[in-house]
Amino acid sequence: MALNGGLCYHPANIHMFPDEEDFEWEPPSEAEMKVIQARRERQDKISKLMGDYLLKGYKMLGECCDLCGTILLQDKQQKNYCVSCQELDSDIDKDNPALNAQAALSQVRERQLAAQSPPPPHAPQLNGGASSSQSGGTVPQPRPEHCEGAAAGGRALLPPPVAPTPAAPAAATTLAPSRPPVSPQSSTLRPVLQEAEEAVLTKLRWATTQLQSSASLETSIQLCSLITSCASSLRSLKELSQ
Amino acid sequence: MLSVKHLHLKHALQTVCTLEAVILRSFGPEGGQVLFTRDTGQAMLSCSGTQILKALRLEHPLARMVVECVWKHSAVTGDGSKTFVLLLASILRLIHAAASKAPGVSQWSTEAAEAATARHLADKLLAFAMTELDDLICVSVAPHGFCVSSEDFTTKTQLPSCPNGFCVQALLSSFFHTRLDYVHCDFLSGLACELLGHWKFQNDTLSFALQFLNDNFPALHTQVSGFPVSSSHVIEGQVIHRDFATPCLQVNNQPVKAVVVTEYLQPKLLRRGDMLDLGCGGRVTGEKSIIPFSAWTERSLESVIATLQSLGVSVLLCAVKQSAAALALAAQAEMCLVECVSEEELSLFVRLSGVAPISDCWMIQPENVATLTFCKPIQLGAHRYVHVAFCDSEERVGVKPCSLVICGSGEVQTEQYASAFQDAIRMLFTTWEPTRMTETTALKKPVQSHQCTSLNAHNLTEDTVCRSSDVYVLKPGCVIPAGGTFEFLLHHALLQHGRSCSASNYTNTGVGVSQILADALLTVPRQIYSHNLKSFLQTQTRVTSFTSNQPHHFMLLKNARGTTEDPEKGDEPSKLFTLDSGLESVSCKHQLLLAVLQCLTSLLRVNAVVRTHTALHSASHTHAKMSEESADDETED
Repeated sequence: MALNGGLCYHPANIHMFPDEEDFEWEPPSEAEMKVIQARRERQDKISKLMGDYLLKGYKMLGECCDLCGTILLQDKQQKNYCVSCQELDSDIDKDNPALNAQAALSQVRERQLAAQSPPPPHAPQLNGGASSSQSGGTVPQPRPEHCEGAAAGGRALLPPPVAPTPAAPAAATTLAPSRPPVSPQSSTLRPVLQEAEEAVLTKLRWATTQLQSSASLETSIQLCSLITSCASSLRSLKELSQ
Repeated sequence: MLSVKHLHLKHALQTVCTLEAVILRSFGPEGGQVLFTRDTGQAMLSCSGTQILKALRLEHPLARMVVECVWKHSAVTGDGSKTFVLLLASILRLIHAAASKAPGVSQWSTEAAEAATARHLADKLLAFAMTELDDLICVSVAPHGFCVSSEDFTTKTQLPSCPNGFCVQALLSSFFHTRLDYVHCDFLSGLACELLGHWKFQNDTLSFALQFLNDNFPALHTQVSGFPVSSSHVIEGQVIHRDFATPCLQVNNQPVKAVVVTEYLQPKLLRRGDMLDLGCGGRVTGEKSIIPFSAWTERSLESVIATLQSLGVSVLLCAVKQSAAALALAAQAEMCLVECVSEEELSLFVRLSGVAPISDCWMIQPENVATLTFCKPIQLGAHRYVHVAFCDSEERVGVKPCSLVICGSGEVQTEQYASAFQDAIRMLFTTWEPTRMTETTALKKPVQSHQCTSLNAHNLTEDTVCRSSDVYVLKPGCVIPAGGTFEFLLHHALLQHGRSCSASNYTNTGVGVSQILADALLTVPRQIYSHNLKSFLQTQTRVTSFTSNQPHHFMLLKNARGTTEDPEKGDEPSKLFTLDSGLESVSCKHQLLLAVLQCLTSLLRVNAVVRTHTALHSASHTHAKMSEESADDETED
């Protein structure tokens, strides 16, 4: 399509070159602020690492890394080195559920929170009696820091967050974080369980394809641990449905 | 096929932040030194920003450009290379943040739009600095400073006009403190004052002497390694860094006559490209040989030596290596010959002795002959040099030429002391350099004073700023306590300026740039006090309390005195000066800010890098060449 001095044939209402009145800059939301802050901290970390390497005798090249755009360094043996790819965790990988179990858990948790109709105000009261060895918190879902350890080891503590959270308060009493509960109300649980199973299977498939194409060591390790935890989740889901 | 790589704002940011991370740990009074080891095993300890940056292996053109700017700035002012990088990084960060927030950029954010905004901001910052910054400094910062007296360099006595030792030595001492270790800075500053005291021409200003010293410093100092630093001293006359080629028979201090020879005494037999036509002056002989020619050259040499002897010359300083026959004849005639003297030393000798060098050996005039008080060998460390002293001449009244012998434990360390000395002289020169008013700034001032009335005229004092026809000029020798005072004061002034400008609706963009500059300036004291946040807050509180109280304080002082003070001697220094605070020069800081902003604009104008496969420069330093406003930047592969 031809552009004539700023006018265009764009069918929608969007102008290609908006005036300032059309678009107002709004301050970034809190989530965006967090992202900006995290990105800035990451850049500072990269600069500091690069400075240390320069002082060690590395050479700063005039090229950038293809993956992340960071300036490349070269050591005395003429080997190129990218600080952010090889030392820091990748920025986007941190949020990628397939590579980071923590991100996976927080994504599932977000989805569950969104699915719950009323936010459970009485949820804190429920788990008062439940013995929770790990979290000790009042919310039925375990906190991410505990999940991290759980996911890395692939221990059986993982099932509860993937398992259906108490949509109904009745089910919550039986759902202790340390033990997979045997619920008498299987009829309400079954579709939820199936959904959970499907989600886990999809992730498993995805992780497998990623693993086949992955080139980095760190990524492969994380993918394997994700597959392990998916497998154990499926196992506990199957136990639940029985 | 040339490969073109496009550079974005984030590349510049990353490069500069990396360089900042490199120098950050050496910055400030708590900063450490960097230990460099060469492949040969030679080790060097340094906390000089220029040395650290130049030692890095950098191939990235932007990084090389920044290091080049730092080096050039340091070559002029002698100080502030780490502060340069720190300020550059913080301004760039703020510009990056402002550019990504600019309207119209967020949603349709392209790299080009961000880069254009950043460039625009940088240009505005530079324009602001060139036009309004020196006014702000004169009005808001300099009154809190103090003009150091340039009259007296004695280290022991304290003049009544210099309370608490605010003299040149204190300024030098704090300079050496940042560059070298604690122990020797007082000693070295005393040595520097002694040197300056000898060289200060009576009728000329201090800046003339400083410029002379700066230009001739390589010839005016000798490095001696293997001795402790405290053995450094000032020596009379000039030391020529060569040994005698013929035995020197003078051991007592007798006046001698000397000449400077730039050519060969004996005409060279054959040089490359010469053709000798053998034909013995028209007489046809049976044989044509070179022997009559060489006999002729020897005869001419003998006559030259005879002429010199008749003039009473006993010392010859030569720029080139003389032939063996010349040496033999000179030794026979009991003349001392020094060969291969460097050009700088010869030009200094010529300048101090007032004679012209001999260019044509056939024409030696009495005005080529210099009289020296003595000329004898001197043993400095492992080397033997020639030591000459000059007679007093009418041209330099009250000046006793002398040079410096700098000792250090190792070669590298001695070199560092010598470079610190030279940087100290450059710093002093920048401090005492009379401010040059260009035509454009002189024309602009009256217009601006109407529009921006935020400058509080009653804040001025006569001491540090002289006012003539609406133009504010910083007086030479203005110093201010070190430790971030300059930055705090300027920060405060910029914020006030920004507020008043927006209130009077001067320009909208004027607010933005003063805000950016004000925020960037605070990183310097933050880094200085990074280990001690309490000191940061204390200093900030102290300085800001002074900025609010100051006009009243000075007004009272002036009224009480009733008489006009001699501006050179200065008023009582403001209470900002504490006993243990170091001193730093206001004009050095001003120059630093201008240099940083100029480097910033150049940095942001680079759009792309074109890699070539042929060398563009034959110099050993490979430079990145920049074109004016357009995109391409060519580098050596």
